Order: sequence, then structure tokens, then C-alpha cells
Amino acid sequence: MIEAIRKIPLYMLNRKFGWPNMLPMNITISPSPRCNSRCLTCNIWMKREDELSLEEWDKVFQSLGKTPFWFTISGGEPFMNKDIVETAQSIYKHCKPGIINIPTNSLMYKIIAPKVETMCRTCPDTQFIINLSLDGVGEKHDHIRGIAGNFEKFELNYRALRELNLPNLTIGVHSVISRFNVDDVEELFDYAFGLKPDSYITEIAEQRVELDTVGISITPSKEKYGVAIDELIRRLESRDFKGISRVTESFRIQYYKLVKKILAQETQVIACYAGWASAQIYANGEVWPCCVRSDNVANLRDVDYDFKRAWFNPEADRVRKSIKNKECHCPLANASYTNMLMHPPTLARVGTRVIQGSLPVINGPTKNAAATTVATTPKA
Amino acid sequence: MKWQWLQEHVQHPKDAGYAKRVLDRYRLGMKAKGEILGARIIPGSRDCAVAQSLANKTYLPDDAPIIPIAQCTLPGGCMCAYTPVMTYETERAPVEEVTAEV
Repeated sequence: MIEAIRKIPLYMLNRKFGWPNMLPMNITISPSPRCNSRCLTCNIWMKREDELSLEEWDKVFQSLGKTPFWFTISGGEPFMNKDIVETAQSIYKHCKPGIINIPTNSLMYKIIAPKVETMCRTCPDTQFIINLSLDGVGEKHDHIRGIAGNFEKFELNYRALRELNLPNLTIGVHSVISRFNVDDVEELFDYAFGLKPDSYITEIAEQRVELDTVGISITPSKEKYGVAIDELIRRLESRDFKGISRVTESFRIQYYKLVKKILAQETQVIACYAGWASAQIYANGEVWPCCVRSDNVANLRDVDYDFKRAWFNPEADRVRKSIKNKECHCPLANASYTNMLMHPPTLARVGTRVIQGSLPVINGPTKNAAATTVATTPKA
Repeated sequence: MKWQWLQEHVQHPKDAGYAKRVLDRYRLGMKAKGEILGARIIPGSRDCAVAQSLANKTYLPDDAPIIPIAQCTLPGGCMCAYTPVMTYETERAPVEEVTAEV
């Protein structure tokens, strides 16, 4: 982590002056777009690609070396990938990242906990964050995710992962706030906080080329989103987080405030480092600075799986210039957290909040005790 | 327009395989009982009469005009794009199945 923080000034120099050349510290990979959800807010599951094999991914990770601190294994549904354990192990072997983050829809709950346990035990020096998607309570979740019975599987998956009780496993809950659930967030937050996850993250539903949602009305109005996110901030600020959670939740509060500003101002409120500090590698080997624009700067198959050759080329420079010129703006969480790390005023606000200790009380009383009981009581 | 930049971003010349790739995807989405009703065209330019005439309609994948549109007269070539039409958007633009004549 300290090594990653030490590189922050170098990324700032790189973005401003084009020197020194830096590989990204935040890498998202999407080994396959296949997904067994049918979400109202995402169309990636319709895609079929000529996917990189495990052997090809291994070469890519080898070329990345130890620079990336944060990996996200995305999808589609990551656990539909039969090689997900081996993929994580390959990342660990070559890159030794601080964090490997994996979202899941929980539908394959029977195989998820055993695979997570294997990953955690065989990659002991990396922290695994497993984020379980939750977009509503009960049938509302099933409706938005397009699969009957998904909510029940979410609960079973959450409980199975909790029972692992591994030191390098963080269990998070992740909600996408869309036009389909923005009116129900109180119920959603009650339930999610009642679960007492290690982290609770929300992200606004947004148009992305990757998800084939460009032109579709899934994003809530900024007025409704503002009300929802104010409620979330209020809950976070009223809780008393301890240790590292105090830092991460301070970042989250800053992120939610940033999203409101981006929606209101419709511009990059702080400089975006997608293309410098964060990147995505798509299933077919395409390298993208970010998944919202999905600009293909090179295909790793064409450059002998050498990420450096894909990352340092004129097309990547062209996209970086476009991002730097603020030709785009978005509240993508993955990139935004990296951007906040590179933004001294945001860091100062996070630091102040952490030092003041004015934060938050995780696991505080919830309004909806019944929901909590449902989530933690074993089912027959 | 909050997301106008992204719509403009996808308006660039497409390769020859673009239409098949996207329409196959939508075909699969409909077959697999997704919330997709069909495809709509995001016109590449306000100045392209052909594109404008094809916009604001929902096409079944088998009937959708092929992008790049053959009759396109834009100097830089056709810059139209497909976007999926979802069931929950029907109140915005009624489904109108049209057989492509392009």
C-alpha cells in the first residue's frame, strides 16, 4: 500500500507532463462477458467474445509485473469463469497486488464460497474483496436482476462467505442505484446496513459502452439520486467506523459527494486518471483506459501480450489527450476512487475526517430489524 | 444533456463487422428472454437525411438497417450506431417494427 501511495506524485507528473511513463496501479479485467443475470441496467450478458485463455492471461499478468496494487476481476459474472481461481492465482504469482476485488451476483452460491476459500488460502498476502450485488430487498431485487430467487441466493451466499471467517477476506455489498430502485433506497439501506457487511458500496447506474447501455434511460434523475445519496451520507456520517474502515468510509463519503457534483456540473470535477492510473482489459484482449468509453487502444494478442506495448502507443496517447481535455465525464466508481487518491484536496478532506474521528458507527441500530433477521437466519 | 458526450462518442465510423456483431447480440438477448425489444439507430449526423429517416424506430434484429448505411453521403462515412431498445422504454418510443429498405 505504501508503495502504491509513493507512486501518486509520479502519476500526477505523468498526467501533467507525459513523464515518467507509468503502468496503471488499478487494473480491471473482464475474462468473459457471460452472465446468468438479466439485469434491467446491463446488457453485457448478450455479448460473446473470442476470450483470452488462461495461458494468455498469464502472459499478460507477467508483463504487468508488480505495479498494479488493485485488481478487479469483473465480468459478466466472474464465477461463471471456470478458471477464476487459477486467474487469481496467476495474478498473485506475477503481480502480488494488495487487493483483488471480485463482484458477484450470488446465483452460483454453491460454488462461490469454496472457490473464494481456495483463492484466499493460496494467495495469503492479498486481500480479497468479494462484493455481492444487491439492488433491492426481496422480489424487488429479483425484478431488477431479472432472475426469480436471486435474493434468496444472495442471502445464502452472504452467509456462506461469512462462515469462511478468513483474515484476508472482506465481504462487501454493492448496490447499483438506478431509476428502478431510487425510490426504495431507505428499505435497501436498512437491509444492507443491517447485514453488517465489511463494506457497503453504492454506484449510480450509468451508460457505458461496455455494458451496451448507451442511449438507455437507466440513470436516476439527479434530484432523486441526490436525495438518496444524502440519506446514505447521513447514515455513514452517523456511524463510528474503526481502523481502516474509517479511511475507506471517509473515501466513500467523498465519492458520493463527488458523484452529485459530476451530475450537477456535467464535467470532470476532479481530474480523471483513467488512461494513466487505471485501465481495463476486456475479454478479447482489448485494452481500454476505461469501461465507460471502451476505447480500444490495442489488443494484447497483437503485441505478444505485452501490456507495456499496448499502453504506451499513439492511440493510447490520443485517448489520454481526450480525457485530459475533459471530452468525457462520468461517475464510474472504480476510476473515481483512483482519481480521488490523485487529488490532494480530497485526500486532505479524508485525512481531516479520519483524524477528527467524527465518523461513523458501523453496525449501529437499524430501522428494519426484521430484514436483518431474514438475512442472518439460516433457511430450511 | 447529461450523457450527450457518450452518444457522440459512439458516433464514429464502424468496421464492416459491426452490424453483425451487435445485431447477433440483440438477437441472442431477445431469444434468451432479456428485457430487449430490438434495436434503434443513433444517427451519426443531423445532416444525414438517410440516418434521420431511420432514427426513432425500433427494429427487430433481422430487419434493422445495416450500419455502415450504404446510402450514407457523409464525407467521413457513416457514423451511425445501434442502441438497444428496452421493454421499459416503450412509453418513450412505441415499438414500430419496420422492415429495412436500405
